[in-house]
Amino acid sequence: MEATKKTEEEGNENAEKVVEEEEFSASEIEYVSYGGEHHLPLIMGLVDSELSEPYSIFTYRYFVYLWPQLSFLAFHRGKCVGTVVCKMGEHRNTFRGYIAMLVVIKPYRGKGIATELVTRSIQVMMESGCEEVTLEAEVTNKGALALYGRLGFVRAKRLFRYYLNGVDAFRLKLLFPSPMSQSSLPIVADTDGSHWHNDHIPIEECSEVR
Amino acid sequence: MVISRTVVDEATESAEYDLPKYNTGELPGIGHLKMIMDPVRQYFPVKVTIKSKIEALERVTDLPSREVERGPNNANALNPAITPPPSSATFIPLQTNSTSHFTPAITKRREENPSLLSDQTHEASTMDPPVPERSSIPSGENSVWADASPLLAAACGDLEDGQLIHGDNFNLFAAMSALEIMDPKMDSGIVCKYYSVEEAIEDGAAPLPISCDKTVDVRCTIDIVDHLLSCEATWHKGHSLSQTVFSCIYLLRPERTSSHALLHSFCRVIRATCKAVISVVSDARTHEEEDLFTMNYGLPLNGDGDDKCLSMLNAVEETISRQLRACKAPSSLKRRVLEDTEPLQTNIDMEEGYCKALLCRLRFRKHFYHVLTCLRRPQGRGLELARKHIASCIMELESILSSSEFLRSSSSEAWEGGVENKTTASGCQPIGFDASLNCRLSAPTPPRAIKILSWKEAIEYFLKLLHDLDIICSYSLDSSLENLLNFVVQFQKSQPDLVARAHLQLLLVQDGKIHGRDPVFAIISRAAALPEATKNHDIQKNEFILQLGQLVINLLKIVCSNSAWQRRKLGKIVQDWRVIYLQLEMAFKKECGDNPSLSNEENASMKIFQHILVWVEEQTYWIASRFLILGFELELYSPSEYCMVYWYLYVVLVKLAEKIHIKMVATNSAGKKRGKKKRDAPKDAAKDYRIPPGVLFLQCQICLAEGLTMMLAALRNEHGILQSRSPFNTEHERFIQHFELLQKASIPDHMSYPSFKESTSYACFSNLLMYNYFKDAQRIAKEVKSSFSNEPDKLAELKRLEQVAEHNSIALNVICRVGTLDPSLKVSFEFNHHPYFATAVVKRS
Repeated sequence: MEATKKTEEEGNENAEKVVEEEEFSASEIEYVSYGGEHHLPLIMGLVDSELSEPYSIFTYRYFVYLWPQLSFLAFHRGKCVGTVVCKMGEHRNTFRGYIAMLVVIKPYRGKGIATELVTRSIQVMMESGCEEVTLEAEVTNKGALALYGRLGFVRAKRLFRYYLNGVDAFRLKLLFPSPMSQSSLPIVADTDGSHWHNDHIPIEECSEVR
Repeated sequence: MVISRTVVDEATESAEYDLPKYNTGELPGIGHLKMIMDPVRQYFPVKVTIKSKIEALERVTDLPSREVERGPNNANALNPAITPPPSSATFIPLQTNSTSHFTPAITKRREENPSLLSDQTHEASTMDPPVPERSSIPSGENSVWADASPLLAAACGDLEDGQLIHGDNFNLFAAMSALEIMDPKMDSGIVCKYYSVEEAIEDGAAPLPISCDKTVDVRCTIDIVDHLLSCEATWHKGHSLSQTVFSCIYLLRPERTSSHALLHSFCRVIRATCKAVISVVSDARTHEEEDLFTMNYGLPLNGDGDDKCLSMLNAVEETISRQLRACKAPSSLKRRVLEDTEPLQTNIDMEEGYCKALLCRLRFRKHFYHVLTCLRRPQGRGLELARKHIASCIMELESILSSSEFLRSSSSEAWEGGVENKTTASGCQPIGFDASLNCRLSAPTPPRAIKILSWKEAIEYFLKLLHDLDIICSYSLDSSLENLLNFVVQFQKSQPDLVARAHLQLLLVQDGKIHGRDPVFAIISRAAALPEATKNHDIQKNEFILQLGQLVINLLKIVCSNSAWQRRKLGKIVQDWRVIYLQLEMAFKKECGDNPSLSNEENASMKIFQHILVWVEEQTYWIASRFLILGFELELYSPSEYCMVYWYLYVVLVKLAEKIHIKMVATNSAGKKRGKKKRDAPKDAAKDYRIPPGVLFLQCQICLAEGLTMMLAALRNEHGILQSRSPFNTEHERFIQHFELLQKASIPDHMSYPSFKESTSYACFSNLLMYNYFKDAQRIAKEVKSSFSNEPDKLAELKRLEQVAEHNSIALNVICRVGTLDPSLKVSFEFNHHPYFATAVVKRS
């Protein structure tokens, strides 16, 4: 649950070589919905490498077996470069989606991959009747906060020292328009910024089985 | 017990086996359990939740002592504070034999389920007859022990990749709590250097004396004391006690240090201090923060004689003072003095430096302990004395800081880099610390190395803590509720940490009374300006008034908590205040409204009710405004949302000012009618017709909020900036999300998204120039200053408001002049003059 690779990296920045940005065009990225057990090691590898918090295999299976339609992977020339893992369910009388993990590996960030991954999940959640989507992100994770801000998430709460490294988190929420209101939805172009957010699944998310 | 073989969602066919559910993580033999599961799937669910781990360990204590002593984990089991959660899972202890090879798991066969029994024997016919040789737990009536391992093996053979055996209660929480044994990221047991404190001591990790060379011994003692200070600050800042202060092996074995008077006296006072701090925090019940902070199971916080730590500290202090005097004495006297005073250590050149370094550290500990005990005296009786000790603490901290130079020069270790990251004044690594020894005690956290604050940071932390405590000591217990709330709001501006906030809260509320002394109703009647007669009135017994008292107490506790938590709680209690208002209103109508011919007594209670109702509304709007304002401090609003937030703040502040005004007018007229009170006739007569300064103060903020709303709206309407578009929702949804709690409580009535749109969609700069809200704010701030000449905090606030008004007024002019010609004009908002009223910054791109 929590402390990020990012902080670790910042600790020994000098020791690290600057990662060169991968050259590619957006059309080369292929997005795939979770397709079965063969995808699991890819997802686990990405999350393990980017987030220091270890999740047991049960956690991954819990998500991908129950909501395979909400998990997506991004491939570039056969290599898995990003993934999103989500769930949805009843929570205090609201049917809501929850984004559990979002990762894009470093050389591929800033190209809209994370936005595309998470947008696909949110789209499915909306079509499945979710009223809102939530997640947590570190207050210092500017990239993730900007990404979710562009998608319409508001910072609903600040969670004091949410992560073990002492950093606060924001609880972000996206409320879908209720079917009653007829407001038209403006579509915004996805400008930039793919980032990952490291996240620590809160206990209240765990109270429901499905 | 039945475990079904299923995929995670339990959808597939399930073959039922009578298997034990292994809720055990680190029981003897569990490693072998994993081994036999390997052929199937490495991740057979050996489910180890933290809860069940504790439960398991509790059960371990029932086993023969041979097994209990096996692992260092048992410290958990010994803690009486943790009781195993009620669980439907049956715990089946594993049997270990003397050679500690894996012995089959034993399961209890239930007689009441004979069908299962027959299935089982059918499927696993090779099973040996039950009844193990030595069973430590009796099987009980109508049941026998049976070997389940062949059954397990058979079950494993049927599983496919990705399949999982689990119980009904295997949810996400269970999945997240599962540990993979032997994975250093998850298994806290694997990263330890030593299995027990004893092992560490035997290995020489914490020698006593620290060194036979007395100089080295003193130097190392100082390093230990310094590192402990860093640990203590790290603990206060939110890490577990066991991983910080109690990473010190010397602290963990209180009796061991008794031969080393110096170290012993420090260890004692540090344990006693930790205990005092834990007590204040747990008494204050500062909600989620306290959980980790006060967790202290398995730690020796109650060393024998720790309560007498001060007498020992004084004795040691005296000895060292004598040693210091001896070494400073002129040489003629030296011989005589030296005869009865043995020096602290052997190096005469360093005697003075070491004596001084130790003395300031000893004295700091002494005074700090005094501060904590003085602050805890009931009804703030120790505040004055506490201030003296705080001053002494600060003085000693400064001496400690300046001792660093000497200590660095005398350290034998050559170290590189600045002192910045070091946890000691000398820069040396301290002896006798191992954080991994206790990592099993920090139950709900995965094994993580904690970064201990540097020694410099620790001293800074303590300086800030002492400063915050000093502010608390300056608090006057005679305050009105309004002053009290203002005091807390002001205090919170410096973002005090948990320990200081806990002290403040305990000072404000104790035993259900304000300041541990005044009944809540007395405070309410002052705040609501109730007539004198109320004191004996029956209204105090009214159930809603009693509830109201409880709400006031809650409010006081909440405003003392950290801002993140505070805002969440304020958002919730705003509803309670609304409900109590409606209930009081109903009670009021019932009592007075039905009967137009009122007796005197009824007339009195009507007045009381009216006053209380107005005050409850005022307080409700105050809570709502705090809720909105804290959102800025917590960075919950993005610039595209500022417009709606300022609009809402404006609406709430208007209501608040209105209620305060009504209350003030009512109080004044009541005073006049009674025809008494000290009134200097000519002056006060005029005053009655003026708006009270408290309201004008709010008026100034109202102008700023309205001005910012309109400026932001105009920027949006005319320049198309600060708009928020998103693919999935609209501004309406974001409005609902931000103000849901206020809207639910109808604060204010009839205000919703359409009203916001109505008041902002036509905002334009030409109107803003004609009616310049910022100029108004500036004018009011200037006017009202003289009324607050005795209140420096309010004056400072007015100054800030004035600055914001001035800057925004200029920005407004610039935008109007240049804006139409230069569409590339960039406007951003900053909080450089005020924490929640933004200043517009205009730039050409």
